[in-house]
Amino acid sequence: MKEGKKKKPETSIGESISALGAFFVYLITGLFLAVGFWVVRDKYSVDLISDPSLTLRLLWMIEFPIVVIIFSLFRSNPKKCSYFRAVGRSIVGLISGAIINALGAVSLGAPVGMQSLPKTVHWSFLMSVFTVVPATAVFGASWTNWHRVFASLKPTGNIEYMILIPAYGAIIGGWFGAWPMPLDWERPWQEWPICVCYGAIGGYIVGQLVSLSLMIFLRKHKNLKLA
Amino acid sequence: MATAMTCTRLTIFTVAGIFLQIIGLSIFVFGFFPVKPTLSGVSGSESYRDPFCDSSPNSNESELHSEKLRLHYQELSGISLKYDRLVLMVIDGLPAEFVLGKDGQPPRDVWKESMPYTQSLLANGDAIGYHAKAAPPTVTMPRLKAMVSGAIGGFLDVAFNFNTQAFLEDNLLGQFFRIGWKMVMLGDETWLKLFPGLFMRHDGVSSFFVKDTVQVDRNVSRHLPDQLNSDDWNFLILHYLGLDHVGHTGGRNSPLMAGKLKEMDDIVRTMHLRAVMDRTHDQGQTLLVVVSDHGMTDNGNHGGSSYEETDSLMLFIGLSSNFSDYGAAINNVAFQVDLAPTLALLFGVPIPKNNVGVVVPGTLSSLRDYEQLRALELNSWQLLRLMQAQIPSSLFEGFSCNCFVDGICKGLDISECSGEKEKQLICLFRNAALLHHIWKSKKLTKSSGAVEDFSRALDAYNAFLKTASEWLASKTTEKPVFLLGLGLSAMLLSCIVCATLFLSLFKEVYHEPKDRVCSLSYRLNLEEVFIFALLLILVISMGSSSMVEEEHYIWHFMVSTFHLLILFKTAKLFDFSKGRNILGDYKAVSIFLLLISGRLLRGWHQGGVNWTYLPDISKWLEQVGSGYVKWIQLISNIIVIGLGLFTLSRTGSKKKSVCVLALGFLTCGLLVLLHAGRYQDEMFEVSTEFGATVIVKVIYFLLFISAIGAALVLPWSMLNKDKSFLAEAGDCLYLIGSAYILCWCLLHLLLQQPINSGPIILLLIQILAIPCLSSNDVQVNEWVEIGALYYMGMAGHFALGNSNTLATIDVAAAFIGISSHSTILSGILMFMITYASPMLFLLSLVMYVGAKLRNQSHSTISTHRETSLGQILKLKLGFPCLVPLCINSVLLTAYTVVLLLMRNHLFVWSVFSPKYLYVCATTLCTYIGVCIVAVTVTYAFFVTTFRRSNRTTRHDNS
Repeated sequence: MKEGKKKKPETSIGESISALGAFFVYLITGLFLAVGFWVVRDKYSVDLISDPSLTLRLLWMIEFPIVVIIFSLFRSNPKKCSYFRAVGRSIVGLISGAIINALGAVSLGAPVGMQSLPKTVHWSFLMSVFTVVPATAVFGASWTNWHRVFASLKPTGNIEYMILIPAYGAIIGGWFGAWPMPLDWERPWQEWPICVCYGAIGGYIVGQLVSLSLMIFLRKHKNLKLA
Repeated sequence: MATAMTCTRLTIFTVAGIFLQIIGLSIFVFGFFPVKPTLSGVSGSESYRDPFCDSSPNSNESELHSEKLRLHYQELSGISLKYDRLVLMVIDGLPAEFVLGKDGQPPRDVWKESMPYTQSLLANGDAIGYHAKAAPPTVTMPRLKAMVSGAIGGFLDVAFNFNTQAFLEDNLLGQFFRIGWKMVMLGDETWLKLFPGLFMRHDGVSSFFVKDTVQVDRNVSRHLPDQLNSDDWNFLILHYLGLDHVGHTGGRNSPLMAGKLKEMDDIVRTMHLRAVMDRTHDQGQTLLVVVSDHGMTDNGNHGGSSYEETDSLMLFIGLSSNFSDYGAAINNVAFQVDLAPTLALLFGVPIPKNNVGVVVPGTLSSLRDYEQLRALELNSWQLLRLMQAQIPSSLFEGFSCNCFVDGICKGLDISECSGEKEKQLICLFRNAALLHHIWKSKKLTKSSGAVEDFSRALDAYNAFLKTASEWLASKTTEKPVFLLGLGLSAMLLSCIVCATLFLSLFKEVYHEPKDRVCSLSYRLNLEEVFIFALLLILVISMGSSSMVEEEHYIWHFMVSTFHLLILFKTAKLFDFSKGRNILGDYKAVSIFLLLISGRLLRGWHQGGVNWTYLPDISKWLEQVGSGYVKWIQLISNIIVIGLGLFTLSRTGSKKKSVCVLALGFLTCGLLVLLHAGRYQDEMFEVSTEFGATVIVKVIYFLLFISAIGAALVLPWSMLNKDKSFLAEAGDCLYLIGSAYILCWCLLHLLLQQPINSGPIILLLIQILAIPCLSSNDVQVNEWVEIGALYYMGMAGHFALGNSNTLATIDVAAAFIGISSHSTILSGILMFMITYASPMLFLLSLVMYVGAKLRNQSHSTISTHRETSLGQILKLKLGFPCLVPLCINSVLLTAYTVVLLLMRNHLFVWSVFSPKYLYVCATTLCTYIGVCIVAVTVTYAFFVTTFRRSNRTTRHDNS
């Protein structure tokens, strides 16, 4: 709590980004998600319901590079840390984030059998792309930053809003996405991880919109204060 | 609240609230679940007359000699009697699928080959079988009542199933007795309790030893040669319990099932060859009816309303008509209640008064045409009488005595029936009666077209009977609105009382130093919001039948989410500047322990209704071999003993009383281990050996003595001059609490199925891990933790394999260690087994209070010096008592509203009502648990105060 109140020196934050830039970043990530779905449907002619693990694999494989490429640009401490290092550490982040997400899902009740293992793995990679990868690309191993943003919920600057809010959006969306699973509607999408996946993607997009509006609102607020 | 609550006022209000709730609940339950039959009295000769005629009972009828009465009935009925002897063979728990197959397919080969004679009877057309749909609850006694009276009993019958009482409603056995039949009953003694004094000879067997699958049936069959040789009986009832016991111990696919079916088949063969085919005795023909009272699920349980449980058998052997087609003999559907009117009409007695069944069509085909119509007419008249009691008489205008015969009824034309259900029914009846009359008059004049008229009349009667039966069956569930409203409002009021008490205490505890303006702007933190949100989610989810069926998902999901939130909060407070501190690590470890054990608990039993086939840990363990289950049992036993000794030693006191307590545990634990090792593996044998019962009784006694003794003695023996009052009371309560939960765990290691010893140990670990969260730096409020404990208890309830259907109640274990049949004792055992987990968590509140006190006494050593005992009690005991009561009261009231809203839902009897019984039982469990906690804590405080004041006076004197 106390740490959040301390003002961070400006040097620790890398290149800042305007709300317009954030909008374009979101547009590109959203576009690549759409591209992922399109590839899955048109090239492999499957979808999330008929082959969830293939779909999820393609989705995260398409989404991951673009997220890394964009967010590595905004790495904190760009002088000490080269661009390629940021890319490298986000690969580590991808794997560790996937492990954390998978553990979280399993602790909330995701099935653990061999049948559902590939689905869980690919789902958690996708979740990792949404949640952990941008943060690793930007923060690296700076635990204080992680703690400040993710645990204390005290983001400073637009880029941290872009990391924090969509990530929590994806997690909360996924949490709500699990709700229809025990209902007896006998729909194919009630299987793990399909509706959780829809929920997570939905939550991610809602999080992007919320962070965007927050950025605009806060900037206006700031301008007002300055004036 | 204008003034702060005193302890006494709080107590009085709480108790008043509880009493209000109990009264409201009982009013509601007796209003909602029908217990009374519609018509009183017994059908007599008036049942052979038009219901619109003056039906004052014939006064001299009751004085008639039974033989004369029989002839009188026969004369009135106008149906010739083909049979004069009836053999009713009840095979407890036999699903019709075993004999007749499913969906038009013949039964599976393993079953078919086990019953060759029955199958040949069906194939030859000597027998006709029906899938007789039984109404829930599918438990023996209500089903027997339904079969002999034709009435659908109240749902609460299940509560009285273990306390059978004489059946006073009009029923077949009473009717047979009145016409002088001699009846013999062999088998389940439920019959003897239902019909005391009606049987000429009887040999009842008890359904008490569920693991006995052999002797129960041998006890029935050994009488058969005698009975078959003697001619003096008219009605022979054979009730075989063995198959139900096989199901209870091993499920549908038990290795013993084939042998049991073969045994039943042999008995059918004996009865067919010796009683039905053999015409040497001087009497007429014998009818053999093979029925089952209910089916069973794959696990062999019953009680609910799934197809497997309600699919019971009705098999008529020896009907004179011949059914040549095997397919036609197995593809019939009826209701269980249809047995009563069918047998009544075939054997010439009046149909029981409250019957809602319809005569089974195929059984009448041997009768002549006018007899068939007469039989349908009698059945219709009986149903019409029952309807007259429920439909305003104005609707019956236009009918008068014998108006169809005289042709003076109003609206004498056949019409399409539509509109209101009641009017439609009367219209259908009028059509049928008219067609019947037309056919009769045509037959008299021998005019042409009689055959079509006959079939038209037959169809009309069947249409009326079917609709009327359904309508009456649905009417059985009519509710008295006033009682329901009264009960519900009492419950709402008590809910409000509880919530107000909670809120006032909440304000007092958390805002004492601040002024009141500030208290309004109090910000709830995340866990508090979550606890409220969870309550709301539960209330909402109870409105959906599938969420009720799959309730365990919500509990597990929410409890895990709560643990994750706590983890998040811990991470938030993690201070980097201090580096890694041991306390924080310890806490993180305990949270991970909670998460892991929660996940294991969730995976242990795949509960619910729709997804029970999915793999889970218990199924997997049983597949890989019972040896592993044994190992788990052994290990968890040792862990419980170890954890118990560890917890006792954690207080650091080496008092003599603590050592005695530890010794007591050790003995109990070893005895439980001994019992498990020696007696529990004999699944299919009668484990009623003397040794086993004695050991179990010794364990009960020791556990009881340890728990009660700890609670009574420990406050007196804790003496520590260095410690403050609170620390002393805290130590003492901590010890008592751990004694409680350890006793409870050991008891359940003994009582629960061996596979459940895993979840029990996990629950114990959860309980021991929870206090680690409440160390000083993480500010999780006390009431949040208590709420979480309650929720974890409910999650554990489902992890032990319970669900919201009555079928998962472990009946077999309720007789462990009881040597004679006692309804109350086995009921208590069953309650304890079902509510093991919620009770465990409620009992752990004693330990929780103790741990809190100890923690607090370290930090704030002198703040409470001046406060009175009442104030301390209120602050320490207020939340542990009020939070469970509040949560339960909200859930109970909400579910009562849901049940009222759902009263016309298709699943009201199968899903919502069983759940309501569970909710009521949870309420009872909460009351008991809270009561124990309150009494123990108050007692410990009083004793400690008393001793300290004594000590100080002595100190002052010296």
